[in-house]
Amino acid sequence: MAQIDIQNVQKFFGQHQVLKDLNLTIEDGEFVVMLGQSGGGKTTALRAIAGLETVTSGKILINGEEVQNRKAADRDIAFVFQSFSLYPHMTVRENIAFPLRAVRMNAADRDRAVKAVAETLQIAQHLDRKPSALSGGDMQRVAIGRALVRRPQALLMDEPLGVLDAKLREQMRAEIKRLHIARGSTSVYVTHDQIEAMSLADRIVILHDGVLQQVGAPDQVYLQPTNLFVAKFVGSPVMNVSDVRIDGNNVRLNGAEAGFRFPDETLSTVRHAEAGLTLGVRPEAVLLAHHQGEGYVPVVTTNIEPLGSHDIVDVQLGGTVLRSRTASGFVSGEGQQVWVRLDPAQAHFFDKATGLNMRGAN
Amino acid sequence: MASQVMTNLDPKSRAAAKGLSDLTIRNLFIIPTIAFLIIFNIFPLLYSLAYSFTDFRASTRAPANFVGLQNYRDLLSDPFIWSNFSITAKYVLISVTGQVLVGFGLAMLLNRAIPAKGLITTLLLLPMMLSMAVVGLFWKLLYDPNFGIINYFLGLEKFEWLADPDMALYAIAIVDIWMWAPFVMLLSLAGLSAVPKHLYEAAEIDRASGLYTFFRITLPLVAPILMIAIIFRTMEAFKTFDLAYVLSSQPTTELIAIRLYKMAFQEWQTGMSSAFAYIVLIMVVAITNIYVKYLNKVKAR
Ligand SMILES: Nc1ncnc2c1ncn2[C@@H]1O[C@H](COP(=O)(O)OP(=O)(O)OP(=O)(O)O)[C@@H](O)[C@H]1O
Ligand SMILES: [Mg+2]
Repeated sequence: MAQIDIQNVQKFFGQHQVLKDLNLTIEDGEFVVMLGQSGGGKTTALRAIAGLETVTSGKILINGEEVQNRKAADRDIAFVFQSFSLYPHMTVRENIAFPLRAVRMNAADRDRAVKAVAETLQIAQHLDRKPSALSGGDMQRVAIGRALVRRPQALLMDEPLGVLDAKLREQMRAEIKRLHIARGSTSVYVTHDQIEAMSLADRIVILHDGVLQQVGAPDQVYLQPTNLFVAKFVGSPVMNVSDVRIDGNNVRLNGAEAGFRFPDETLSTVRHAEAGLTLGVRPEAVLLAHHQGEGYVPVVTTNIEPLGSHDIVDVQLGGTVLRSRTASGFVSGEGQQVWVRLDPAQAHFFDKATGLNMRGAN
Repeated sequence: MASQVMTNLDPKSRAAAKGLSDLTIRNLFIIPTIAFLIIFNIFPLLYSLAYSFTDFRASTRAPANFVGLQNYRDLLSDPFIWSNFSITAKYVLISVTGQVLVGFGLAMLLNRAIPAKGLITTLLLLPMMLSMAVVGLFWKLLYDPNFGIINYFLGLEKFEWLADPDMALYAIAIVDIWMWAPFVMLLSLAGLSAVPKHLYEAAEIDRASGLYTFFRITLPLVAPILMIAIIFRTMEAFKTFDLAYVLSSQPTTELIAIRLYKMAFQEWQTGMSSAFAYIVLIMVVAITNIYVKYLNKVKAR
């Protein structure tokens, strides 16, 4: 097991810069999830750590040793590919044993290791089948088994559950977590699914356009996003975002007549950027009431998504649709008059020019 | 499946307007082909089968006498015929092995990003497109002990490539390899480029050496298409005639096809040579069958 240190890594494909000055330390035994949109450079970063891709400049250290010029085979890192990349002409047993045979481990130890891994992953009954005869979930188990069988320095996974259906993803997610806890292997996991990221990660790394946006524990990334991109990318439904004007303690949304009263301590850190501010509030911080109350603004509901455990209610305020998370059945239908208030403690103000969170949470 | 396609005749089409049914159209296409096959392939095949049981000679007007299996018995107990077979076997082995080694090697070299890859591939394919007889003639010049360019470049003075009884068969095989290695290369290249790149990445991650990757991943995945190339080349090499006939007339290079030609058209033993042709046919079918069985086994893996 190992610590991985990425220092000032840049990666160009021709003129196109895919990784922009990446710095990241992954601690021994940590489970780090790289999260980001398609084309953000997640796969490239992971492949660079594994040695499948060279870096243009910068250093990659494993346990303090520089490895950026070493071949993948000399870095002793396991990789689970999105497409599984099982060897189609070999049985499951041969696939899992491949990394051991490649380094000439003796047959007895090899069989023992393969059996142990197969049992952990519950694929012992498929050992003599070909990959083509397996279901997607079992193929993924084999791919993970092949990666784990030799106790690598670190385990890298590139959207390993990407091609599985929703139910299986959830199940495999739990299994990956269980495996990680059992083995304590340093793991880097790439996904664009934030729920996967939240549920698996010790720390989440958010990459966008090759730039590292934020590194932090899941709740930290959710509660204290460093910038507007992270705020909008993490969380479902998406955070409500609107340009605002602040007059005194009154925060007015773009195009709205009425404003919300925010306490001084909330606004003190944001006042100096009055040039242009964007307010962000998550749906659970948009509070609805059936009656007029202190600090509430009257609105009309425009849409309701009943999700069983809760509802998502849209209300129109000025030029902005605010989405609120309410108890299920709280609002009975569209076109109803309700009152809305924002929770100042959960409100974020972003500088319109830079996108940075003005409350300096991070 | 096929009948489904045929019943889907567009009702507005001209064929429909003329009242042609699907069946009529199908027959219109198939009958000429069948007729052609019967007249030019099946009929001569059966006719020669009949001849193989007679002492017929096409050069005389004497009637053919039925001799039963006598021709087959004579042929199979003739030591000279067996020597023809063993020469052929040796030739097939050398030639096909050479083609596979050279062809697959070239394919391995070409299966990467190299400049002018398309041009190089095209140039390498040229020998395959030439006529056998022409190739034979100009290699005869290349091999010439007096002014041949090969001896000049190899510094071999007056080495007799084709007149030397031990060397001649190899010399012919070399020409065959030169001509047909590109064919093996072409098929191998198709096979190699069909191996997904990510499998090589997986192997690298799994710390497999280059050699280990080649034998455990590349070769097994290319094997089926390589087998097909080998089947084709074995069949062709087995019935080689023109190259050997043009290049050399040594007894040590008398392949079965040449023996057969002499028997049929120089000695005019028509009945006997028909029997001979049938023996060769059965052998080719048997060898091909062995290959195909093996191919299926490789594919099942
Ligand atoms: N081999 C390559 N050659 C040229 N450009 C590449 C190459 N690999 C990736 N890119 C480019 O680099 C950028 C980042 O790609 P990358 O695969 O790392 O993104 P990603 O975050 O993994 O996206 P996804 O979620 O779609 O997998 C993309 O714009 C892609 O087009
Ligand atoms: Mg990717």
